[in-house]
Amino acid sequence: MNRRYALEVRQQMAWYWQALIIAGSLILGLLVSGTILVVAGVPAGELLNEFVILTLFDAQSLQSVLFQASPLIMVGLAGCLAFRAKFWNLGLEGQMIFGAIGATAITMWDIGSPAIRLPLMMAAAMACGLLWAIAPVLLRLKLQVNEIVSTLMLNYIAINFLLHLMYGAWKDPKDAFPYSPKYESFELLPEFGDGLSMSIPIAIVIALVVLWFINISRAGLYLRFVDKSPQVARSVGVPVAKTILLAVLFSGALAGLAGLMVAAGQEGRLTHSFYVGYGFSGILIAFLARNNPIAATCAALLIATLFVAGRSLQVFYQIPFAMVQLIQAVLVICVASSDFFIRHRIRRVQGGE
Amino acid sequence: MKKLILSACFALAGLVGLTTTAHAEGFTLKGEPKIAMLYISPTNDGGWTQAFEEARQRLEKELDMKIQYVESVPESASAIRPAVERFIKRGTNIIIGTAFGYSDTFKSLSEDYPDVAFLNGSGTTNGPNLLSYYGRTYESQYLCGMAAGAASETGKLGFVAANPFGQVNWTINAYAMGAREMNPDATVTVVYTGAWNDPTKERSATKALIDQGADVIGQHVDTPTPQLVAQENGVYGTGHHRDFREFAPKATVCSSVWVWDRFLKNELEKIIAGNWVPEPHGALLSMEQGGTDIACCGPNIDKEEEAKIMAARDKLLKGELKVYAGPLKDQNGNVHAEAGEVVSDGDLWQMDWFVDGVITQQ
Repeated sequence: MNRRYALEVRQQMAWYWQALIIAGSLILGLLVSGTILVVAGVPAGELLNEFVILTLFDAQSLQSVLFQASPLIMVGLAGCLAFRAKFWNLGLEGQMIFGAIGATAITMWDIGSPAIRLPLMMAAAMACGLLWAIAPVLLRLKLQVNEIVSTLMLNYIAINFLLHLMYGAWKDPKDAFPYSPKYESFELLPEFGDGLSMSIPIAIVIALVVLWFINISRAGLYLRFVDKSPQVARSVGVPVAKTILLAVLFSGALAGLAGLMVAAGQEGRLTHSFYVGYGFSGILIAFLARNNPIAATCAALLIATLFVAGRSLQVFYQIPFAMVQLIQAVLVICVASSDFFIRHRIRRVQGGE
Repeated sequence: MKKLILSACFALAGLVGLTTTAHAEGFTLKGEPKIAMLYISPTNDGGWTQAFEEARQRLEKELDMKIQYVESVPESASAIRPAVERFIKRGTNIIIGTAFGYSDTFKSLSEDYPDVAFLNGSGTTNGPNLLSYYGRTYESQYLCGMAAGAASETGKLGFVAANPFGQVNWTINAYAMGAREMNPDATVTVVYTGAWNDPTKERSATKALIDQGADVIGQHVDTPTPQLVAQENGVYGTGHHRDFREFAPKATVCSSVWVWDRFLKNELEKIIAGNWVPEPHGALLSMEQGGTDIACCGPNIDKEEEAKIMAARDKLLKGELKVYAGPLKDQNGNVHAEAGEVVSDGDLWQMDWFVDGVITQQ
């Protein structure tokens, strides 16, 4: 008798099984990471203590995690929206830079009274992020220009424009250093409770809005069509171009808002390298979350925890920063491979011939 | 009754006054000193951070204590704060930063943790327990400019610079003045790359300068790329941060190097001794105080020229020579210091003018 295994494409899988598989792959990734760290010299007993207890059950550290998480949530959600429209927005950093520039323009030119300054800054940040996303999406829709190239290249233009402002017109006249003048107190995202930034509740509200947009709104329904198959969507009369346009502009606006969260929530001014790493993190988070907004929020928190705990491992065990990046990569590979088990199943076949 | 309350108030005010004066006397550590350093890049970056790491290792020996460190902490509040707070939580009471972008976060941390001493290299913020420090890189770069002027056959020097602002422009001007000390006709052509650490742009900028006829390449960027390209093309160069003969022994004739331990040892001893009063506007270190020095001299510099460079170094180390002493005019004829004057630190930071011999796009 001949015993064989066959690989089959799975049609459908219940969401809880999917969640279970992803959670399992994450746990596997954490175990592999833990092993690497133990081999690198972190005592095994300390690992749980450092990662979980001291990071999540310590008020100050938890605050650091949340402080770090909110712009990550924003870029993660921005990634989800664009990727759902099958638009590979690699320009999150550029849109973020323009968002922060827009918000800073409001502060530089003293537009609006102090009471409405912050809402104006938020509007400007979203508008500028959105504007920076318009060109690549129109180029893609009208001329089939590959957005992977155009969005990525626009990042460099944004970065150099930022440097142009920082070393030129917008440098702090106080000491001629390459950052904008400090924001006024009413231009900063306020704190509440025990030093928690307002950007956290904003991030949560926006995550819920994105959830509504994707799962409940009519545009979200169209978006699901486009995500599954643009050809079929077009043939059944879904306005494909408009749906893609809407999702990408929404994505750009959220990236712009992430820029404001860093500038007005963390740095207190526009600085010359605030955006570094967010583009990659946004893509990573959307990918880990498989473009689900709630999962993206969780993934952003996970990444922030990893950063904060990783910093602490670096501080106390002299683990090189490359190790923290390695752990990130291990987690991504594990989640990426779990995709295989969600899409396929292995079945044992009793072979005839 | 009212009177009583009033006088009580006055007594209280007096007490408060007393405590503030006691505070104003200086900063004193509460316990045993425990030091940690925060690096912006990996410890083997070949330049800025590696210079700090080498200083840390020397300091450990000289002060006979362990100094902790953490590498690759980017210039963002969300990365700096958790690292510093972790250190403080486990008893660290002296934190040494190494980046301009740490300035704002160090300021707010120094207010949140008044019992911890903060030092920040190339920072801009200061306070009762916070001191920013940086080196007068124009002094060592002046000497390397002399070496470049001596090594050059054509008198055409090239300079690869990061960004056009005060602390880069001051090295360019000093470099040109040093070069003209050795060769009065020398010119310095400058290319700004717009980045501190971009080997690709540094390579193309260096190549372009060599193609235009420059035969010595100076630099104020973070990587040794300009020196490597100079060596590949058979011309000379001068390094920045560390002795770049390590990377380009045939090309590097001089390097402006950091000697942070000379300054930090002194400052740390002052902090540990107690009653530390940081300079209100930060410490801008001359070579005399131990910020920078040179590693000199490499090929194509004869004994006589070397002696001249070393004599100038001696004068700088003794504080007898001021690079930005008057009479000093820029290319457009504006006077920046009269005879007998020296350009003020405030004007140095704001420097956006160039002396004769400098050719830039700015």
